[in-house]
Amino acid sequence: MEKPSKFAVWLSTFLFCMLFWLLLTWSVEPVELILGAAVSAVVAAFSGRFLIHNRAFYLYNPVRLVMILVYNIFIFFWEIIKANVNMARIVLSPNLGNYQAGIIRIPASPDIKSDYGQAMVSNSITLTPGTITMDVAEDEEGNNYYYVHWIDVTETDREKAGEVIKGRMERWIGRIWK
Amino acid sequence: MAVRIIVDILLAIGLFFLIVGTLGYIRMPDVFGRLQASTCIATLGTIAVVLAGIVYAIVDGSEVIAYVKLGLILVLIMGTNPVSNHALCKAAYKMGIKPAKELVMDDYKEDEVE
Repeated sequence: MEKPSKFAVWLSTFLFCMLFWLLLTWSVEPVELILGAAVSAVVAAFSGRFLIHNRAFYLYNPVRLVMILVYNIFIFFWEIIKANVNMARIVLSPNLGNYQAGIIRIPASPDIKSDYGQAMVSNSITLTPGTITMDVAEDEEGNNYYYVHWIDVTETDREKAGEVIKGRMERWIGRIWK
Repeated sequence: MAVRIIVDILLAIGLFFLIVGTLGYIRMPDVFGRLQASTCIATLGTIAVVLAGIVYAIVDGSEVIAYVKLGLILVLIMGTNPVSNHALCKAAYKMGIKPAKELVMDDYKEDEVE
């Protein structure tokens, strides 16, 4: 993966900022457009290098955007509902459900190598109530691991626990990011 | 009328999970449990309340910007909440805060990630 040029980084961030500006103002008056372009240009010049590390225009692809929408609306939403109901059961039971917390190391899928993909998987894990990603680490052979604080450890085998925590979500994210 | 019922049900679900999150925040014995319970507030609590707003705005015939902005609220909360949660949890662990109950397993300590 080669490093993108400075202009590509700037342009990609600029487009992203401009998209948000258009959604927030929801008008195409010249004054708004010029102001938004000026603000986006300055913001992109300063923060582009933090946002874009490789393959600047990877996300500007209709198929990937639709995939992200489908993932968020169907797969991820269902996982959130399941986890929320589980959490409500723990919180509302008289002795807090005697939960057993633990920090477990689960192996990441070897397909997802990019920072964006790993960030999306760990953010998905954190957003599901009951699990929080504490760190992502890489060992000598290049395998990645997530360290997850899990409030109710029901599975101590690391491979199986990974399947329980992120199996379906990771497979879907693997189709979006490589 | 039927729409009103849908909006009310969504609001009720949202409020229920907001209460669960707050209760968990009060009842949990340590930092990590509190962080876990408060995720309920940011996820299903917010999602259901915002969805109720979107349904109401669409049926009420509001301008498009009304529900676009509601959607943006959802995107921003879902985008920023996990980052702060992760940072708080890691910082609490690194500071040496002990969990109230012995952890079942602690791979993080054994591997000694720098």
